[in-house]
Parts: sequence; structure tokens; C-alpha cells
Amino acid sequence: MTITVKLFGPQAQMAGQRELVLDFPASQINCGELRAAMARCHSRLAPTLASSRFAINQSFATDADAIHPGDEVALIGLISGG
Amino acid sequence: MHEKVAITHGPLMPAVPLRSNGAGAVICFEGIVRGMEAGRPLEALDYEVYEPMTLRELIALSQDIVRRHKLLGIVVEHSEGRVRVGEISFRLQVAAKHRAEGLAAVNEFIDRLKQEVPLWKVPVFAEDMRVKATSCQTYARHSATAQEES
Repeated sequence: MTITVKLFGPQAQMAGQRELVLDFPASQINCGELRAAMARCHSRLAPTLASSRFAINQSFATDADAIHPGDEVALIGLISGG
Repeated sequence: MHEKVAITHGPLMPAVPLRSNGAGAVICFEGIVRGMEAGRPLEALDYEVYEPMTLRELIALSQDIVRRHKLLGIVVEHSEGRVRVGEISFRLQVAAKHRAEGLAAVNEFIDRLKQEVPLWKVPVFAEDMRVKATSCQTYARHSATAQEES
């Protein structure tokens, strides 16, 4: 299963790109597994992941929430509005 | 009940004051881009949004704040895109019967905005703009020289 994660703001700057593409052997994973994989694969983002949230199809998700093929996934971290 | 939530491209224009029947307190907070960030001179802030989620979360936050503090009105305006030093990037106006709930609403809204709403600001530092301008000028001189020689 291939997942594309949208990045914004400082996290996009850290990664040097607006999207990360990750491949998983399983046909379904959850946000917690995605978080762990991103921490292993992207050392610059890793320190920011514990305090970040994921959104699936533009709604906040928990680590237990499953990601299905075709879902829009975004990393929502280091937010700084106002 | 007057409620408005808007995301605007670029800096915010001067406020249209919120007025509400029965309000004893109308409070306006404006967020202004400061000249320094992490000790470095700032040129601007670039605000990023994740639409339509950002607007939806702003509306949900506004509605919750109105309910929790029994507000009589609320206006929320936030910039996306570039906002330069001295310009306004955020404005919150609340109307309440009394000062206490108005001030409490403003404080809670801003605290939760910074934790819950998908909005990001990326600093544009003054020295980075000068380096970029210098690089463009150098390229222009080299291009002109190459054209003369050919």
C-alpha cells in the first residue's frame, strides 16, 4: 500500500518537500504505524512527530484510525496560527 | 447573533467594528507581524492553510467559543499568504454582556487556535531576501555580458 502524506509549514521545510510517499507491505495500516514509519525514514521530521496529528480526508485522526487506499492523509504539526 | 469567520489572502484590511444589541463589552484583538523572529530581522510571514479543513476547524472553534462563553457575536479573520512586518494577520472580535466572559473568550480562542487549527506561519527573513536579490542581480549581469560577447 502506498501512502502520500501532505506536509505544511515548518515540517514541509524540514522535509524539503510538500509530500512524502511511503510504501507499506500491508494492505491497511493505522496512523500510529504511519507515525512510526515516518520517524524511521525521516530523521529531520522525527523530533516533531510525537506532538503532531494526522488528518484523514481532512478530519483529525487518532493513532488507532485505519488508512484506506485513496485516503487523503496530512501531517498536522507545529501549527502556529494567530 | 453576528458570526463571521473568514480567511483572507494577504494582510487584513482595517476592522469593521463588531456591534451587537445587548453587548456591554466588545473586544477586538489584532495579531500583527513583528519585526523579529528568533532573534533575526523578519521581512514577512508566509501563512499556509489546508483548505477546506482550516476554515472548517476555525468555524467549529468559533461556534464552541460562542457556546462556552455565551457570546452575543464573534468575528474571526485570518490571513493566508504573505503578510509583511507591521501588517495585521489575525483579528478576533467578540461581543459579550460583560467584560469577564469577553476576555475569557478571547484568551481561550487564541490558545486553542494555536493548538487545534491547521494554520502555519513560515518566516521570511530579511537577510534571505537580500541574498536572493543579490543573486538575481549577479545573474542579470552575467546574462548581459554573455549577450554582448556573442
